[in-house]
Amino acid sequence: MAPIPPFSASEIAEKARRDLLLLLEGIRGKKNLVLEKALTGSLNLLVKFSTLQEYGVDRLFFLENDNVDSSQRNVVFLVRGEKAKTVMAVAEQIKRIRRDSQIEHEFSIFWVPRRTMVSDQLLESAGVLGEASVSEWPLFFVPLADDVLSLELEDAVKDIYLRKDPTSIYLSAKALMLQQQKYGLFPRIIGKGDNAKRLANLLIRMRTEVTAGESTNSGPSFLGLTPSSTIDSLVIIDREVDFPTVLLTQLTYEGLIDEVFNITANQAEVDSSVVGGAAPQPGQTGSASTSMKRKVLIDPKDSLYTTLGDSNFAIVGNLLNKAARRLQSSTERNQLAAKTTAELRDFVAKLPGYQAEQASLKIHTSLAEEIIKHTHTDIFTRSLEVQQNIMSGADPTTQHDTITELISRDIPLPTILRLLCLESTTNAGIRPKDLETFKRAIIQAYGPQHLLTLSSLEKMNLLQPRGGSSLGAMPAAKPGSVTNYTPLRKSLRLWDDEVNEADPNDISYVFSGYAPLSVRIVQSIIQKQTLANLIKPSSNPQASAQANPLAQGLRIFDDASKYVRGATFDETQTGEEKAVKARSMLNGNHSDGAKTVVVFFLGGVTRAEISALRFVGRKLRDVGGEGRGSRIVICSTGIVRGEGLIGCAVESGRFEG
Amino acid sequence: LHGKPGVSFEEIARAAYEEGRVRLATELLNYEPRAGKQVPLLLGMKEDTIALDKAIESGDTDLIYHVLLHLRKKLPLASFFRVINTRPVATALVETSAHDQDRDLLKDLYYQDDRRLDGSNLLLTEALAQNTLGPSLDKLKLASKYLQDSRDASATFQRSALDDAAKLLRMQETFEKDLAQSQSSATPIPGASTSMYIGLSAHQTIFALLRAGHTKRAQKIQHEFKIPDKTYTWLKLRALVSARHWT
Repeated sequence: MAPIPPFSASEIAEKARRDLLLLLEGIRGKKNLVLEKALTGSLNLLVKFSTLQEYGVDRLFFLENDNVDSSQRNVVFLVRGEKAKTVMAVAEQIKRIRRDSQIEHEFSIFWVPRRTMVSDQLLESAGVLGEASVSEWPLFFVPLADDVLSLELEDAVKDIYLRKDPTSIYLSAKALMLQQQKYGLFPRIIGKGDNAKRLANLLIRMRTEVTAGESTNSGPSFLGLTPSSTIDSLVIIDREVDFPTVLLTQLTYEGLIDEVFNITANQAEVDSSVVGGAAPQPGQTGSASTSMKRKVLIDPKDSLYTTLGDSNFAIVGNLLNKAARRLQSSTERNQLAAKTTAELRDFVAKLPGYQAEQASLKIHTSLAEEIIKHTHTDIFTRSLEVQQNIMSGADPTTQHDTITELISRDIPLPTILRLLCLESTTNAGIRPKDLETFKRAIIQAYGPQHLLTLSSLEKMNLLQPRGGSSLGAMPAAKPGSVTNYTPLRKSLRLWDDEVNEADPNDISYVFSGYAPLSVRIVQSIIQKQTLANLIKPSSNPQASAQANPLAQGLRIFDDASKYVRGATFDETQTGEEKAVKARSMLNGNHSDGAKTVVVFFLGGVTRAEISALRFVGRKLRDVGGEGRGSRIVICSTGIVRGEGLIGCAVESGRFEG
Repeated sequence: LHGKPGVSFEEIARAAYEEGRVRLATELLNYEPRAGKQVPLLLGMKEDTIALDKAIESGDTDLIYHVLLHLRKKLPLASFFRVINTRPVATALVETSAHDQDRDLLKDLYYQDDRRLDGSNLLLTEALAQNTLGPSLDKLKLASKYLQDSRDASATFQRSALDDAAKLLRMQETFEKDLAQSQSSATPIPGASTSMYIGLSAHQTIFALLRAGHTKRAQKIQHEFKIPDKTYTWLKLRALVSARHWT
């Protein structure tokens, strides 16, 4: 039996699906399902609506709409149980239905991913706890692609960095713990950032909790908690360590789709005039799409898209062209050559494949066209220019005129804030005088309500005066100091002038010059040799000696992490010796190359970073790993983009008369 | 016994507590790794602050909320604040939940901790929530007053911004009255559904005034709020272009 690789996307999806369907089966008869909007995406990825119908789901409602009707006796709530607000909403609706309805209803609540004590208390005080049967749907990771697992926690960024609410960290730890219980402990947990450290501590703590529970009520066997033989390590990166990567405009195809159209749960809403009014995708649950918008599936399994998605947008035109030519020639030649019936049959058998490819080509050509329109606007080029200047290390004050002009031209506030935050995060704050000028300009241009926006950004450490606030200061010794890009730009080669977008040789291609710091940190752990050669190309022998794969030391990592904000940690997890031996006998020896490296982004990951990590993974696979395994699985609390990061600070209220 | 896995210290501690030896029980509970079992017992033994610390250590927000709810019911407000304000995680959670449910609690919290900026921001949030101008202005005044004793730069900035906001709203109110007749003829700006001027930013107000041809008033706004000439020129350019577009 071939062992299932750890963190296998299909297995995780399968389990989540099974769990949900079992729960639905437990409720007899037809039922109406009330869904929290934030869960729609995850649900879409896991089950088809038709499957839900087979399991007796009659109609689907959104919790937020508060419009459940009494057409069915059974009412099932499927909601996240961590927020008091959602719990209260559930309680209100149960009360409303009970008051308005003619028949007696049976209520069931599936808390995702767990039932909490607080939710029980709230339901009890609302007087509805007794009437609802409560269960849990342990949904943690949702696979977005074979190598991307996401917790799909929409509020994670806001919770962790603005409200300092550690719920997402706890849930992340739980999710990782479940994987550990299945595939063994992570032999090493390496990471950077204060919240990452917190997550690592939780993982270690939960391990002792599991052992404590084990012998008293004879839980899983001891084998479950020995170091894994298929996982090499877990690398945790705290988003806070590297905000600029999120703030920059992503320049990969997938990244730009996300910037322009916003991808949620592998779907983008695109104006139907762009992609044409073709038949809508079948099997979408709860698609209340208007005639104006059409949902386009950004499918990681689409063969055309796999080559496109991770490429720099500059070469997407060429790739599309090539694909079109190939498609044309293959259909044409086949038509000409199809003389014998056997050949004809062959061709006909391949036809559906061609048609699918053609449809996909058509969609992506129109998407690309739309994005080109967007990237050719004056505002886009101006703001990109500012971004590139700041990242390459130009004096940020030279950019102030451009930013002021953009404010006067009333371009969308998030774009302005991204530029200002970019300057602040890469330069340890903005000079107090300049910052005040910008703040005043923003308030005058976009309204006084953004006093709150600015104050939230300051709380998230995204926008602050230089040296004025204690957190903005940069002395290296300070524990909570910020990431210092000036030395890192050189020591990690964050900026690359000779970037090759058509045939990339470095991850910097995803931002046309800037190599995301977060991915560089990961590289300094798992791809030391290549990185060393990149930083010091001249002294080759020295560099490779320094990056000896056997050396456990992490010189590049250690050197760099001095300038990166937050705690650095490197924990080794060992199990009991006997159990370790038993396990290695059972499994045999795995070579390093086949091992999995789990990279966890706490607080979200951008699509450009995913592309960069895939690039690293491909290189590693070619050389069979550089000592730390070669299969990279990316996990995160969610997919984030600049607009989302800024968006959690932006105040939406306004004065009205 | 220490270091041996599988010993349930919770049970031992419970036994000790039932024997009346609270201190011993607390000592023993330190060895219990499962916070889910430790915290309820500690609450039962009335070791509230220890329970809170253990809950925070566990990272499980559900447990933390559980302890907090318990404490909130039990303690007088002032001592409740004293317990949480040395623990950042607890404070953050109280703030988060209070923001949705209990604004007055939040006001008291900020007042006791002397967090003036947060307090004034809260009042600003409330000002935004009003749907008539009068109460909005009152709240703004309060928010500004809240800061009058603070001397540091951010508070001064915030104060002047709040005062500017109030001034702008009053001017907008006047425009609304004076220019009411022309209101019907002009196309309303998208987003401003109920009124022509109230709620717009300073730039948007100038833009709207220029587009409707009230250059004098627009210049008054520019002087009042010291808007740079360059910006004003941009606004004028855009306004004129759009005016021609519409007529």
